[in-house]
Amino acid sequence: MSWRSTFKTILIPIVSILLVFVIWDLIIRAFAVDAFVAPSPLDALQSVRDSWSQIWPLTLATIRETVYGFVIGAVLGFLLAVLMAQAKTVQNLVYPVLITSQAVPVIALAAPLVILLGFGLGPKIVIVAWIVFFPVAVSVLDGFANVDRDLVNLAHVMGGSRWRVFLLIRIPATVTPLFSGLKIGATYAVTGAIIGELVASTGQSLAGFQRTANGNLDTATVWGTTLVMTSIGIGWFLLVVLIEHVATPWRYRATRRRLGFRQSSTHSETTP
Amino acid sequence: MTAGTPKLRVEGATKAFDGSIALAPTTLAIQPGEFVSFVGPSGCGKSTLFNIVSGLLTPDQGSVLLDGVDITGTAGNVGYMLQKDLLVPWRSVIDNITLGAALTRGTTKADRTQAIDFAQRYGLGEFLDHYPHALSGGMRQRVALMRTLATNHDVLLLDEPFGALDAQTRFEMQQWLLEVWSETNRTVVFVTHDVDESIFLSDRVLVMSPRPGRVTDELTIDLPRPRTLDVLTQPGFIAAKQRILVGLTGAAA
Repeated sequence: MSWRSTFKTILIPIVSILLVFVIWDLIIRAFAVDAFVAPSPLDALQSVRDSWSQIWPLTLATIRETVYGFVIGAVLGFLLAVLMAQAKTVQNLVYPVLITSQAVPVIALAAPLVILLGFGLGPKIVIVAWIVFFPVAVSVLDGFANVDRDLVNLAHVMGGSRWRVFLLIRIPATVTPLFSGLKIGATYAVTGAIIGELVASTGQSLAGFQRTANGNLDTATVWGTTLVMTSIGIGWFLLVVLIEHVATPWRYRATRRRLGFRQSSTHSETTP
Repeated sequence: MTAGTPKLRVEGATKAFDGSIALAPTTLAIQPGEFVSFVGPSGCGKSTLFNIVSGLLTPDQGSVLLDGVDITGTAGNVGYMLQKDLLVPWRSVIDNITLGAALTRGTTKADRTQAIDFAQRYGLGEFLDHYPHALSGGMRQRVALMRTLATNHDVLLLDEPFGALDAQTRFEMQQWLLEVWSETNRTVVFVTHDVDESIFLSDRVLVMSPRPGRVTDELTIDLPRPRTLDVLTQPGFIAAKQRILVGLTGAAA
């Protein structure tokens, strides 16, 4: 990556986030907002640092719910799209169920899930998966519909069997739309986990921690916890973007990386 | 051309879509190693004819014979290349060239060796690991032709392969195609809108007309090979061009 594109892809987003914090801080100062109404960003961050030993294990739990639910939802969404792509009849059969599932208010889903699955990881994972599978299924299904007809025809003319054309042409063609779906899912996944924690938790959770802080009128911690939750979402999104870069090299590189040809620049930098 | 079993024979093939005739009964024979072009306006049935020969379409009547064997309606018997290069974006140049093998039986070391050999012989050796998006239009068409050659079919169907290229690149590609053709001993069936291109490349030109799609004229081009730029101004070239143009515009009137 050239210096210029490094600047564009990494530095500019960081600057824009910092800018949000600066504006937040300016608003607090300009209107002299009381600390128990809304804290300054530094106060919110300070509160996170102060109760880090409590927040960290709860954050790990939220990450676990997010990741498990995300992976299950993504796999399910992808498989559903593959299934629907096989025949128009299957698609007509499955699609209404897909839409209906998303019409169910997720918050209203939590209570029945607790009755079914108890207060553990179960309901949170289901909620996250419930939210994530939809954009993935829709994007991948779109991907199947948009595979270049001429390319599929060419593959058949070249003697490709239905199965090989599916494996070598149709499936790889859905990878780019798959990642669009995954990125949308990644931003919603944490929200799903927190909703699950709010409704289906006995209190040992990030959402429960925030509720306690709220009860104690500890506004800085309330905001600080929100920042932590947001960070999980951003971190997960960035990880998906990173995986996308590794999984779809043809979109970012001119040449295929050959095995055994890794650049060794990173090693030379670490040697003293 | 010597009489014998033609490489490719189309016998009374017809095709209609929704009652309108896309291809009237068509019979033609193409000899081994021959370079035959079809010229004609849109809707003259040349794509239908191509799709019948490639096996994408089954004719309503008639048959297609390759080396005397009936291949009507079956794919995988001929090489096929379109104006769109249709390179697979996620496969590198070498993996695009070996696509035919991957689609039929899995790529072997021999396939890769052959692909590298083709690529190096025809000026793509430096780009084996490039993805298609990093190549120019002319280079992409070269890779597409390499891919068609690598399927090792004797007959290559080329449907306006250079239609999207600028004039300069197009002329380079035409000369390059003739070079590849003479070295690899394939039979080429070529479709184009471009009359000059059809004469410059071919042993024989078939003129097609629409409504219904059919072959209306046929002429042998006996200009000497190898052909260079000079050919374009020779009397034989001009005469052929005039006859084809009359055939095309007469049909349109």
